Formats: sequence, structure tokens, C-alpha cells
Amino acid sequence: MHLRIDDIAKAWSGHTVLDGVSFHAGESDFVCLLGPSGCGKTTLLRIVAGLTAPDRGRIILDGQDITALPARERRMGLVFQSYSLFPDMTVAANVGYPMRLRGESPAAIATHTGEWLERVGLGTLATRFPDQLSGGQQQRVALARALAANPSMLLLDEPLSALDPAIRGQLRGEIRALQRSLGIPTIMVTHDQDEALAMADTIVCMNDGRIEQIGSPRCLYERPRTRFVADFIGHANLLPTGFVRETLPAFLERRPPGPDSTFELCLRPEDLLIDADPRGEGVIEDITFLGNLARAHIAWRGRRVLAELPGRSPLVRGEAVSIDAVRGAWVST
Amino acid sequence: MGEYVSSVVAPRAIARPRFGAALLLALPLLGLLLFFVHPLLTVLWRSVTDANGAFTLANYGRLLDDPGLPRAALRSLSIGVATTFTTMAFGLCLAMTLHRSRLRGKFLIRGALLLPMLAPSLVLGLGLVCLLGRNGLVHRLTGIPTDIYGFWGLLIANTLYGLPQVVIIVSAALERTPARHYDAAASMGATPWRQFIDVTLPRLRFALLAAAFLVFTETLTDFGSAVVVGGSYRVLAMEIYSEVVGQLDFAMGATLGVVLLAPALLSVWLGRLAKRRQDSGDASPGRALVPEHHPLRDAVLGTVAAIALLPVVAVVGTVAYVSAVKLWPYDRTLTLANYTGGMPDGYGPVATSLGVSLLAAVVGVVMIFALSAGLRRASPRIARPLQVLASLPAAVPGMVLGLGYVLTFNHGALSGWFYGSAAIVAACSLYHYHAQAFLTMQTGMRQVPDALEDAVASFGGDTRHVLRDAVLPFAMPAAISTFFYLFMRSLVTLSGVIFLVTPGLGLASVAVMRLDENGFLAQAAAYAMCVVVAGALALGAMRLLLHVLKDRRHVA
Repeated sequence: MHLRIDDIAKAWSGHTVLDGVSFHAGESDFVCLLGPSGCGKTTLLRIVAGLTAPDRGRIILDGQDITALPARERRMGLVFQSYSLFPDMTVAANVGYPMRLRGESPAAIATHTGEWLERVGLGTLATRFPDQLSGGQQQRVALARALAANPSMLLLDEPLSALDPAIRGQLRGEIRALQRSLGIPTIMVTHDQDEALAMADTIVCMNDGRIEQIGSPRCLYERPRTRFVADFIGHANLLPTGFVRETLPAFLERRPPGPDSTFELCLRPEDLLIDADPRGEGVIEDITFLGNLARAHIAWRGRRVLAELPGRSPLVRGEAVSIDAVRGAWVST
Repeated sequence: MGEYVSSVVAPRAIARPRFGAALLLALPLLGLLLFFVHPLLTVLWRSVTDANGAFTLANYGRLLDDPGLPRAALRSLSIGVATTFTTMAFGLCLAMTLHRSRLRGKFLIRGALLLPMLAPSLVLGLGLVCLLGRNGLVHRLTGIPTDIYGFWGLLIANTLYGLPQVVIIVSAALERTPARHYDAAASMGATPWRQFIDVTLPRLRFALLAAAFLVFTETLTDFGSAVVVGGSYRVLAMEIYSEVVGQLDFAMGATLGVVLLAPALLSVWLGRLAKRRQDSGDASPGRALVPEHHPLRDAVLGTVAAIALLPVVAVVGTVAYVSAVKLWPYDRTLTLANYTGGMPDGYGPVATSLGVSLLAAVVGVVMIFALSAGLRRASPRIARPLQVLASLPAAVPGMVLGLGYVLTFNHGALSGWFYGSAAIVAACSLYHYHAQAFLTMQTGMRQVPDALEDAVASFGGDTRHVLRDAVLPFAMPAAISTFFYLFMRSLVTLSGVIFLVTPGLGLASVAVMRLDENGFLAQAAAYAMCVVVAGALALGAMRLLLHVLKDRRHVA
């Protein structure tokens, strides 16, 4: 299965939600659409699912243009944030629902349903009703229901957002393992960067209806191309060109050409090298001990930067330090 | 759950299949156009044309020629304003008693408040006449001369009738006020009275306004009590009735109808404005409010509640009593003769009323379900005007709609079988009470999660599956409420159907009116009690069904 999204645009009553979005997802890829609220990621997922029609552009699945195909003929498995189970049906009936719509035999449905419930670890809860399950269990049922339909793709719309943090972490791993074992191409919408970093093969980072950057989690973290991506994924110390010229001139070599205001240097907190130095230019404003590491805010020539140090760092508040950096990425502003 | 606000603020309706929406909306829309808009326009048209169909404003000029009409209008206004004040005062106190007092026996208040919902203003008026009329029970027992006909009778009957509606609206607002607001006020040293002024009242403003407009409209357009206790104090509704039924002057009836329509429209519009403002309440009420110990407050509220509700019980009780006496008011021997053969037309009118109500409820719930489900998936450009249209009947007095039916359907294609049939009465009841039924269904539809509908669509379901598997399970309680609301209202309505009944088509409420006019109060009371009991049974059935529905999911 190979999905290509080609120049998709959508506006709601004059307000542009998607502005010419293109990317593709290969066989067994786990793609995360990541971005803040209102960036258009959910609309894009709904367009892929066939629940919303785009104003422009095409959706191509395995070489076939499915843009005009209604949702019910696309065979995509959908999992929503919450509240998408039938309240009047048991867990088993919920999972068997797509198969019943397709007119499969009751025996086949029962076998399949049992298998899928075992797979998501809910074999014993088949006769329960949704309101007797926890949020995490409900999402497992929703996942089993989406997959039991033998879909061509799995589409997840913030499936973990409504859950407690502990369950969220656990289900994150389960979804990823299940997706790997099935090898099913998957698109997940999330606004949670940790979730995207932990789960995705590819992250499509979106802002204001446009794609800011596409790449592996590591690529987006280490080599963000824009200020937005640098800021949205992880913490970024963004330093203007002029400041870098005076403090870390070595980085100028790799700076793309352009006026000073067009690029900034992004330094991740763990990329800063901080050493106690009475003649250093930085002063520790405060330092927070977090166990394995310590997080320090440092005043540096009128700026304030965040650095991550080993937890055992002896530095204290008010101490003067020297600052250097090992890695950094230039991002367009 | 739910702390994360979905990023999709855009209307989701665009996503759903349009042809499904069109299919769902077609029939309800046709119904509204044919049985609501058309009759209404006919009334308007009739009021501005002469006998030859030419445009004229002469009808409106004639309004002033007859000194009785401006006087009736003035009376309607004064009774409307006075009733609004008394009903609001008592209704607010009753709601406060229910939600902000520690008085015991609140179930008695709730029970008594059910009576006016089962007994229409006609029955309340009848009870009032039996109790305090010139030959009423009080006069018979004490010899004190009593004469309730006129302003005071109308005021009492309409106030009793309006009470439960005010209590329901105000209670809803009181329930939405979170306990923490009172905690905050108390912690800053506010006395209970200041808490009432600073916390309770501000949050009731819009509910009170909405309730006031509702009571005003209903009183202004009420026919049931006007015909029974109005006496020589003739209000606009009575004038319309005598123009049409007495003098067969349809043009004048239509003109008066338009005069009655204007303030009702204005009032409903203002009420809607008030309601819209009110919706911005707290989403999470938090911990339930437990009123503090305050004997004086409870004593005062309890006294007011008794003053408001004892008449309700007395009036309905009197109707029950009168229905079981031999020859009211001369021979008060208790007997069941009125029920076993004393009613001039037997149980025929009751059966007809039940049949008509059932028809209105069945057709109504299907049409309104289709309308609400269709609106969920229609684009806002279509949905908004349709919503207004579906809510508009709230502003149209039953008499005006009924008159419209006469003017529209007594000739033409439908007149043959439709005019004079049970169907036309059912249609009139349905569209008279369309707005509230629609509102109930809409509220239920809002419970349906968008995600569930999308899920069905993505699994390959079509509109039929979406309705059956995603919408109906959530909308079922609202559908049940809508059904019984239409049934119970149709059972007791008089104003809308008064022009539509024929000698061959007797209705229980009309029988009550006719028997009362002719002085057969005991038989009138027997018919009235049939209606009250049928309504009570329906209400019981509704509560049972809703209860079963609520429990069903937890059975497994």
C-alpha cells in the first residue's frame, strides 16, 4: 500500500485550513501529522478518510485516484479521540460491526472478533458494554474494530489524547507494536510532540495549513529547518546571527547565505557545553535538579538560554560559567 | 476525558452525504410548508383582502369601529401582564423551594406541579368555576356569595397553568449554578440574602426573562380558560371565536388573529434572545449544592409554596369531585354514573382524542426525528433558516393556526377527505406544538457524537446505518420525550382544534367546553378527568420507558 497526498487544499467559509499540502506514506510506514491546534492536521486526516472533501488536490492510493471515493468505499480503519463506540452494543458486537456491514457470515465474524480481542488483550471482556470499560480499554476496542475490518490503512485521530498519562504511554507502545506486526500503513494525528517522536517513522510537522517539514523524528529534532519546527519539537535556544557572530563564530561556516534576519541558530539544551569559569560570560540564574539531569537557565550577554547538565553537576545559582556548543542547526525565521 | 478541545472548529456537516440530508429533510419540510406556512399565509392574506379577493386594509379599519375589540385587546394585555407577574413570583419561589431550601416533602411540590401539565387551562378553569363560581362548592357550603368569572378567574387559571413551566425553566438555571460560587461568596462574608442577590439572581436573569415571555404569550393566546371563566370579561381569543363561530366573519377572525400574532411573535423572539444569552453557563457544575440550615427561609418558602399549590390541588380535586356527583350542584350524592353512561357521547370523544393524539405523536416523532437528523448533515446555509422555521410555531397561537386550517383546507385538493377528518386535527396539534417538540429532539441530537457517525461511514455504512446505529441510540430518550410531549399536548389542546371539530368528530376537550357552556358541569368534569387520567398514564409510561432505557445498558 502506498498513499500519495497531492496538493490538497481546503477552506471553511473563506478561512484557509489546508494550503497545498503534499506528502506520501509508503508500505508499513507510521506517519504522524504533528502540529498545534487548528493547523489543519485533523482536516487532512478526514480528507484521507473521505469524511471531508478537499477543495483541490488528489489522494492517490496504490496508483488509484480515490479523491472522489466516498468514505465507506475506501476501507480505511479509523480510531477517534473518544466516544466512537456504539453504546448499545457489546464489545464483541462493536468489533464485529464493520464485518456485519460487509455481510460476512456470523461464524466468521465471531472467530475474527475473538482473535482481534485477544490481540488487543481484551479477550475476557467481549460481553461488556462500552460504559463498563476504562478509557484505555475503550480505545483498545476501537483499535480492534478498526483493524478487524481488514483496512487498507489505519487512521488515528488523536487516539490517546483523552487518556491518563500512564495509560497513554502503555497504549503508545501497544499501538506501535501492533502496527509493526501487521505492516499496515498508518497515519496518526497528534499535537503531542513526545507521542510523535516516540511512535513515528515519519513526522509531518504542520503549521497554519502548510507543511513545515517532513522527516524522521531524529531529523526533525536535530536538523529542524524552520524556527517553528525547532520551537515546536523539543526546546530550542534560538540565537540571532549577530549574536552568534560574536559568541560562537565557528557556526557561521555552515550558515546558509542570506541577510542576518533570515536565519537563526538553534541550539538544543543538551548541545550546550557549560563549565564553571570565573571569567565566563554566563551566569547561572537558576538550576533545577531533576535526578538524572539538571536544567539551568543561564544569563548570557543579555539573553537567557536553557542548558541541560548532568544531574550531578556541581554548579550553583549565581555561578559564572563559560558557554560553548557542539552541535547546532540553522533555521529559517 | 474531554479536557482536550478538538482542533476542528469548522462545521462538520459538510462531510456527510448531502443526498442523505436532502432525503431526510424533504418530507418534514414539505409538512412544515403545507401545514404551517401555508395556513399562516392564508390567514395573513385573508386579513388584507375583501370578499372579492382584492387587496384592502379595511378589515384593520373595522377593528376600531367596534368598541368591543380595542377593549378586548386591552383586557388581553392586562391579563397577560398580571398573569406574568403572579406566575413569575410564585414560580421563582417554588423553584427556590425545590433547589435552595431544606424543606422536606419536596415530592409533594413536584407532584402538585404535574397537575397543571396534565390538566389544560380549560380544566383548571372548569375546576375554578365549580369551586368559586356563582353556584360553586364554596358558596354551597358556606353561603358566602362567590363569583369568580372575569379578570380574577382568568388570572388564577392562567397562573396555575403557567406555574410548572416557569419552575422547569428556572430550576434548570438554578441547577447550573455551581456550588463553589456560593462557597466563594460565603467565604467573603456574604449573608444568605446577599448570596441570593449577588449569586443566584444574576444567573437567573435570562431564565426569568425567557419564562416571563413564555407565560405572557401563553396567557395572551389562551382560549381554554377564557371560554370557561372569562364570563363577560371578553378577551381577544373570545372575540376571534365569536367572529368565526358566531358570525362566520372569517375575514374579521383572520384580522384579529394577525393582531394576536404580532405580540406573540415579538414575545417569542425576545424570549429566544434571552435564552441564547443564557446558554453561556458553566459546563461543569461541580459538587452538588446543599442548602444551609435556615429555618426562617424554609418557613417563608414553604408558606409561599403552599399558597401557590393548594389552589392547584383544590381546583383539580374539585373537578374530580364534581365528576363523581349525581347532579351538580343540586344533588351532590357521590356516584360513578357520569362515567358509566352519564356522558352524553359516551367514551367516543375520549377515544377520538386518544386516536388523534396518537396519530400526531407517531407522525410527529418520525418527521421531527428526520428533520433533526437531516439538519445535522445539512450545510449551515440550509440548516439555519430551517431551524427558525421549525421553531416558529411557538409564536403562533393555536386559534390562528386552526383558523388557517379552516381557510386553507375547506376547499381545494385536500378538502375532500382531509377536512373534517381526524388527520386534520392531528396535523393542527402537531404543528401547533412543533417548536417545543423540535427543541427536545434537537437537544437529544446534540448528544450524538460526531465520531460515531464518522466511524459508521468509514466502516462502509450508509445513511440508514448511521441513523440506526449511531444516531438513534443517543437520540432515543429525546425521541421518547418528543412522542409523549406531542401525545399529551394533543390530548388536551382546545384552541387549535376548536374550529376543526365537526358533529361527527367529537374531541374530549371540546366536549368539556360544550358541556360547560350548557351547564352540564358534572359531565364536563367526567370528560376532563378522562383526559387528566389518560395524560397521567402517558406520563407514567414515558417515565417508565426512559428509566428502562437508562438501565438497559447496565444489564449485561
